[in-house]
Amino acid sequence: MQNLINVNSVLENTAKISIFSSTKNLIQVRNFIEENAKKYLTDINIINQIILSVDEACTNIIKHTYKFEDNHIIKIEYYKNKNQFIVKIFYNGDAFDPNKRAVPDMKEYFAKYKVGGLGIPLMKKFMDKIEYLHSVNDFNELTLVKNI
Amino acid sequence: MVFFIDFPEKHITKMEEFNIVEKNNNDVAILYLEGFLDAHTSVELEKSFEKLIDEKKFKIIVNFEKLSYISSAGLGVFMAYIETIRNNSGDVKLCKMSDKIYNIFDMLGFPILFEIYKEEVETIAKFN
Repeated sequence: MQNLINVNSVLENTAKISIFSSTKNLIQVRNFIEENAKKYLTDINIINQIILSVDEACTNIIKHTYKFEDNHIIKIEYYKNKNQFIVKIFYNGDAFDPNKRAVPDMKEYFAKYKVGGLGIPLMKKFMDKIEYLHSVNDFNELTLVKNI
Repeated sequence: MVFFIDFPEKHITKMEEFNIVEKNNNDVAILYLEGFLDAHTSVELEKSFEKLIDEKKFKIIVNFEKLSYISSAGLGVFMAYIETIRNNSGDVKLCKMSDKIYNIFDMLGFPILFEIYKEEVETIAKFN
């Protein structure tokens, strides 16, 4: 019986959305995260950090994995447990682990007027953990964890 | 293998998510941003910068008072044009940011490269 209660509890604290891989759908993703994060979190700064991180992750997938082709599907799920708000992003495509991308030296970045490459640094600053899994059939699972 | 069993809803583009109004104060062009600046809408800001550069307007202020959201795609627009504008004796100065927007700029060190002011009037004065 205890297990059943736990399962129900988990199911109540999750939801998912699927979008086509177009940047015009980023607003849908942000609204989905905002709407659900507000159910559990009161600190608007924390909520904004999660929204931005998920936006950056989806933008990278649309831009780098799908090269702005808008016919692919990206699935976003959130889970909330006692201490964490977790967002999982599922998509098919080439492997790309954001943890393996070096964070730029910002002094050099500005000195050389570089452009782009700031999405992952923002995700790393705002989230407590980023996990990436690439498996068979080019299935990718990106997990963003925020301690709450 | 079936990974995605949910079919996404069609979403109609709403460009009212983001709007830019341009005004001029003598030789200073002021861009007023409104709404959400992300990877979708940042193209509109790129067009505005390209138009100003074509018109040889290199003294540019960006007013963020009505901007609710910015992602790295929005930040990238400022990096894309600042060198060209400064090479033409101009500058892009920023003002009226909410704490939420300023924190994003500040976290990545943008105040190293860009002057950011609280009020528009003091920003205009810096060009004179």
